[in-house]
Amino acid sequence: MVEFGLKLSHLQAMLLFAVVISIAFGFLGRRRPADRVKYIIWSLFLFLLIGVGIGWAMYPFSR
Amino acid sequence: MSDNTTNEVPGHGPLPDGGLETSADIAGHSGPVPEATVAQLKPFGETAALAVGVAGWFIPGMGHALQRMWGRALACFLTVGLLMFVGAKMRGNLFSSGGNDAFDSLGYIADLGTGSFYFVAKSLEKEGPDVSHADGDYGTRFLATAGVLNLLAALHAYEAARGRKG
Repeated sequence: MVEFGLKLSHLQAMLLFAVVISIAFGFLGRRRPADRVKYIIWSLFLFLLIGVGIGWAMYPFSR
Repeated sequence: MSDNTTNEVPGHGPLPDGGLETSADIAGHSGPVPEATVAQLKPFGETAALAVGVAGWFIPGMGHALQRMWGRALACFLTVGLLMFVGAKMRGNLFSSGGNDAFDSLGYIADLGTGSFYFVAKSLEKEGPDVSHADGDYGTRFLATAGVLNLLAALHAYEAARGRKG
């Protein structure tokens, strides 16, 4: 059997991480469906904003 | 075990996902809090709550499933499982007990947080870890995150069983 390795780009890995953690936080942190959806979207937005922000903050040191 | 089969707190209406209202929620509600409502906040004894927490750690989502919080149980199982699967397939480093330094030991504790999924990840990583590429390094983080997330979920299940969280 051929073992397949999963190849994800930096952005894909960050997106996957942010989506999965946001969903988990939303379900654990809120009870009502509407509150969960709002929490998941807000959490996902902050994950991506801070992730991209930190990426840009490190840009001057990458070369 | 809980006898609150209708997932409903008197005077507060049905709650989704089987969750009981917390004392904080009730405190924010206008009007006096009935004693029966407060009593329903502790559906499990201390030992049973601990067993719920341990079950939630060993099988992700089981702690919530035992309390009929199906949405949370499914979410925990799928998110921890997905993180673990992706981490293993990216050939992340799954730490073992024979660590060389404190970071290895911390990584082992984090990986063990996935409970039984730790052994599933071991079986998925047939070729072993490869952290010489970014994928393997990301995989290591995914595996550790799965463990820590499951520990958080198990703690949440334990607290919910004690009536401290809804």
